Amino acid sequence: MVDSCINKKKYLMIEREVEIVNNAGLHTRPAATIVKIAAKYKCEFFIHKDGMNINGKSIIGVMTLAAEKGSKIMLTFDGEDEEKAAEEIIDYFNRGFDEE
Amino acid sequence: MIKISSKNISRKESITVKFLYANAKERFKLELLSKEVGFEKEIHDQNLHRPGLALAGFFELFSHDRVQIFGNTEMKYLSQLTIAKRAEILSKLFAYNIPCVLITNNNKPYDEILEMSEKYKIPIFGSTHSTTKLSYLISDFLDDQFAPRASIHGSFVDVYGAGMLFVGNSGIGKSEVALDLVERGHRLVADDVVIFTKKGEGILMGSGTELVKHFMEIRGIGIIDVRSMFGIRAIRFQKRLEVVIELEIWDDTSEYTRTGLDDSTITILGVEIPYIKLPIIPGKNITVISEVIALNYLLKHYGYDAAKIFQNKLTTKLKAKRSEVDRVIDYFEHDFE
Repeated sequence: MVDSCINKKKYLMIEREVEIVNNAGLHTRPAATIVKIAAKYKCEFFIHKDGMNINGKSIIGVMTLAAEKGSKIMLTFDGEDEEKAAEEIIDYFNRGFDEE
Repeated sequence: MIKISSKNISRKESITVKFLYANAKERFKLELLSKEVGFEKEIHDQNLHRPGLALAGFFELFSHDRVQIFGNTEMKYLSQLTIAKRAEILSKLFAYNIPCVLITNNNKPYDEILEMSEKYKIPIFGSTHSTTKLSYLISDFLDDQFAPRASIHGSFVDVYGAGMLFVGNSGIGKSEVALDLVERGHRLVADDVVIFTKKGEGILMGSGTELVKHFMEIRGIGIIDVRSMFGIRAIRFQKRLEVVIELEIWDDTSEYTRTGLDDSTITILGVEIPYIKLPIIPGKNITVISEVIALNYLLKHYGYDAAKIFQNKLTTKLKAKRSEVDRVIDYFEHDFE
């Protein structure tokens, strides 16, 4: 019952490591924005840090990471629109959440 | 079925002696006997070691990287040695990279022990507990610290005493089910991020994270705090995982159990947990069904498996070859109500 969907899978999985570059770290506002961006896409989005693999579509989850400036986190995108999702979210991280 | 990859799993490589002392001080009546040295030393092994043979001069296979326990035997043995001999053997022992030494039964450390502690920067702790008791307590604490942990996205609720984890895609309504259950008197353990720790061989204990505790996000409202909203009765800090329920939108191609005879399970950290796939359709009250699942689990746990009992009744009837459909009671006199 589960295997059937694996055969249908035509996409790979995207994994990227990003660094938190803004001074305040991954606080409430950027967390909310990340979740909003992720919710637009169908693909699964996970964030991995220190042995925690949390769902990037859950705001509490994203804030749980309490990722401070300089910390490195691994983003995983898995699903049909993974490339577009990865592009937009990674760009948002690289822009330092549009903060200093 | 939910995916649990290696990324979800973590395990502590080491803890510092400082961390052990901070946690064990009050709990296990641990007292610092030496100066505050070697607190940054790391403990990598959950096992403890009694260095009896090492004290007798046999250092082969000496597990020096473990926490060393000096019980009555070790102290009695040391008491019989001359001061010079005692200093010599302790000097050999402490030259190994020992994380720390625990002295049990309220025994007082010899001056030589304290000298070596200072020389080699190895902290000495004392306890009033007996060796057996302290070994048990510290072992259990270290086992928990070094146990593998899995972080899972879901809502974890204690329903009638059964630990139920709701999983499923984002936005399917896990938090709403949890909130509904809390409203009906059940207790929330964690929402969104649940951390499961393996205890012993067949037990998974789940709890929330320190930051999030009993906060939860309800779409359309935002973040709420269940503890301050519903009070202490609505929460608990940890619970054993007993049933996993995966919520999914009704799928015609998916198969859902009809009899409950074929138990499916999901394996998390090597522990098999009963697993139920629950389709969501309009008009279906997931909260009530969750309560029924919990009650059915409890009945099974106490030896009553409704599906099996029903099957046995059917088999008996088939064997008796009485095919007519009987009423539940044949004749109930004057019962016209």
